[in-house]
Amino acid sequence: MTKQRVLRMVWALAAAALLVLASCNQLPGQGKKGGTFVLGLVAEPTSLDPAQLTDINSMRILSSVYDTLVRFDEGGFELKPALATKWTVSSDGLTYTFELRKNVKFHDGTPFNAAAVKFNFDRMLDPKHEFASTGPFPFAGFYYGSVKETKVTDDSTVQIILKTPYSPLLNSLTLNQGRIVSPDAVKKYGKDYGQHAVGTGPFKLVEWQHGVRVVVERNNDYWDGAPLLDKIVFRPIPDEQTRFTELKSGNADAIVDVPPDNVAQVKSDNRYQYIEQPGPHIWWATFNLDKKPFSDLKVRQAVMYATNRDAISRDILKGTGTTANGPIPPSIKWAYTDDVTKYPYDPNKAKQLLADAGYPNGFSAVFWVPESGSGMQSPKSMATAIQGDLAKVGIKLDIKTFEWGAYLTKYNAGFGTEADMGAMSFMLDPGDPAPYLGLVADSAAAAPNGFNAGGYKSAKVDQLLRQAVATTDQSQRGKIYQQVEQEMAKDLPWLFVDNQIQNAAITTKVHNLKLHPSFYIFFDKIWID
Amino acid sequence: MSRYILQRLFGLVGVLFGVSIVLFLALHLAPGDPAQLLLGPLVRPDDLARLREELGLDRPLPIQYVTWLGHVLQGDLGRSIASHRPVLIEIVERFQATALLAGASLLISAVVGITVGVLAAINRGGWIDRASMVLALISMSTPSFWLGMVFIIVFSLVLGVLPGSGMISPRGDGGVLDVLAHLILPALTLAAVPTAVISRLTRSSMLEVIGLDYVRTARGKGLTEQRLVIRHVVPNALIGVATLVGIEAGYLLAGAVLVETVFAWPGLGSLLVTSILKRDFPLVQGGVMLIALSYVLINLATDLAYAYLDPRIRYG
Repeated sequence: MTKQRVLRMVWALAAAALLVLASCNQLPGQGKKGGTFVLGLVAEPTSLDPAQLTDINSMRILSSVYDTLVRFDEGGFELKPALATKWTVSSDGLTYTFELRKNVKFHDGTPFNAAAVKFNFDRMLDPKHEFASTGPFPFAGFYYGSVKETKVTDDSTVQIILKTPYSPLLNSLTLNQGRIVSPDAVKKYGKDYGQHAVGTGPFKLVEWQHGVRVVVERNNDYWDGAPLLDKIVFRPIPDEQTRFTELKSGNADAIVDVPPDNVAQVKSDNRYQYIEQPGPHIWWATFNLDKKPFSDLKVRQAVMYATNRDAISRDILKGTGTTANGPIPPSIKWAYTDDVTKYPYDPNKAKQLLADAGYPNGFSAVFWVPESGSGMQSPKSMATAIQGDLAKVGIKLDIKTFEWGAYLTKYNAGFGTEADMGAMSFMLDPGDPAPYLGLVADSAAAAPNGFNAGGYKSAKVDQLLRQAVATTDQSQRGKIYQQVEQEMAKDLPWLFVDNQIQNAAITTKVHNLKLHPSFYIFFDKIWID
Repeated sequence: MSRYILQRLFGLVGVLFGVSIVLFLALHLAPGDPAQLLLGPLVRPDDLARLREELGLDRPLPIQYVTWLGHVLQGDLGRSIASHRPVLIEIVERFQATALLAGASLLISAVVGITVGVLAAINRGGWIDRASMVLALISMSTPSFWLGMVFIIVFSLVLGVLPGSGMISPRGDGGVLDVLAHLILPALTLAAVPTAVISRLTRSSMLEVIGLDYVRTARGKGLTEQRLVIRHVVPNALIGVATLVGIEAGYLLAGAVLVETVFAWPGLGSLLVTSILKRDFPLVQGGVMLIALSYVLINLATDLAYAYLDPRIRYG
């Protein structure tokens, strides 16, 4: 073998080794780069302009395209820096100062800076803003109603100044309304901006074929490191059986909201991973406290004891829910306490309480229930189970069902004398009991002035709720909410039923897909084989 | 002829006007508020009131109707309450998918239905006749959503030969062949009922014509059976069938909803269902008007087709 030959061989070997290395660019612990991930969702996004919406489905898609100033950590509701690297709150709780990340660009190449942040908030909150017409922004007032103005101090510092102290502000910044859009893109597309999302997020919008798919591709310049996937395809598949079939036929790599009846099948099939995550959700039935019989606490206690809520979570929801014991979901750890009055299933005790209240033979009551609805899980079967349980202690429930749209209008107008109970649910996606509790439990929100349809009035709860909103320190606030929870579990304005668990079924080739309690998905961490 | 068409087009305007009033009342008098639905359960009353005002929902119904009609006459169908997109763009986009699905189903049901009907009639009492009529009865009584699910399970899950959902493969580029592959199952599902109806009517009108005097005469003249059927029986028997095909075309456009839902087909039907649930008034109004318009136009086309198929019919 000549020297030349040996040299040539060495070169060939080296080249081959390089090729092998290049083809598997999988570094240990980092996952593999490349590939297209197809996610089956329950519906189309309504718009890609985050300022206009709050629905979870759109939120999931938008979390790939946009960033917020602050965001939650991957596991819970702890706030982490995102587009803001640091923030401070003035001692009077009125001025929030954010230091912004430098050298971040929107997908259209324009710079992200303090002026862009100001543009975002002004567009939503100031009806006279030049681009306010790109709305409507009906949720901005709900979450940021306390904002007086947004001030640019320098290119990378911005201040949000409040009219009155409003401590849920930081958590509210993680919502859709807090996602920062490119001002240039809004100016360019005007009222049609919702079709042309331009953010700073890990993925850029490629196309939105209505009813078919939303496609996003990797943003190589992402400030937090380029994501691993090449592309994500979001598919709207509203029919739950079709969604499940699409997973099985390989036309989706993962689906969310696996129907309860298919959960067992997914769990037992080793081609799929089944993941769960308690969401900040609560399902309850409001009692009409303005009239007999539910104006009597003993009767409400009887209903709590008579309802086998564990069985509802286990048998009807097939484990996609856990029994709720108060108005705050356990996933909001900082505000939750398990130390509340509990009412385990005990029909005999219920009968005794009814007899004490003067209803030894029970009574009849009207129960309003929507046929379906966002966050309502399986309302009709759940209501029927409650009806069955209460019948055993002599309470005859007359279930009246309504289509969701009609239901909301009716519920919002209050029960009057028409109904004794009404089912309702809510997602606390800011990871904060405010502003939700203020709207359902504060006496000032009794119908028709708010969503306190049953007319719950407790001076103590009112005072605690208002104090919580004005307190800046989160651990102090958490203690106040724990007291609210204890009070409400004692007063029982509602029949607390369950806290929903989000779920997803994922093919085994997909790695690192996690559900977050806030419904956010960290798409930049996902990779596929 | 052209005078007749003009008269009909004039009448068409009246029909559409009537449809718009009934539709508007039905939508607005039904309980449910689009602003409330958009905002969800927990909302501050003043936010709700402001949104209702922005959407013009706080104004009296007649004024809302006249405003809407005024805009429509200028070609502006407004913007969707939910997506804020122009209604016209949204419905035309979805209508194309529905028209493709309905068109394919119509083609299948006309070709298969007429062929089977003719074959059954000329083999009256034979096994082709019996088998095809039993099959027609079965497909007429099968609900389309159930048939769709069976197709998905058999062809897409078990055999894995055809896609069972959507209009393009999620990872694909959406080329013609891709769309065609996705079209097969929903089109067959949707075609099941009209195919059966058309084949039964073809068969009975063929039998009616076969019994007529002129056919006996033609046969007496010594025409071959094949020539007799093709030249003399089929054209006359098809006049009635043409009406039915026209009616079925309208049915397919409006009735595609269930099939679109089962197959996640991005058509107008499924869009209308979700829009009705959201009380997206402008979108539902625009979408239903578009369906009504195509329905009356198809009817007109069917009437005109008579004159072509049967030289004895003249409009004037």
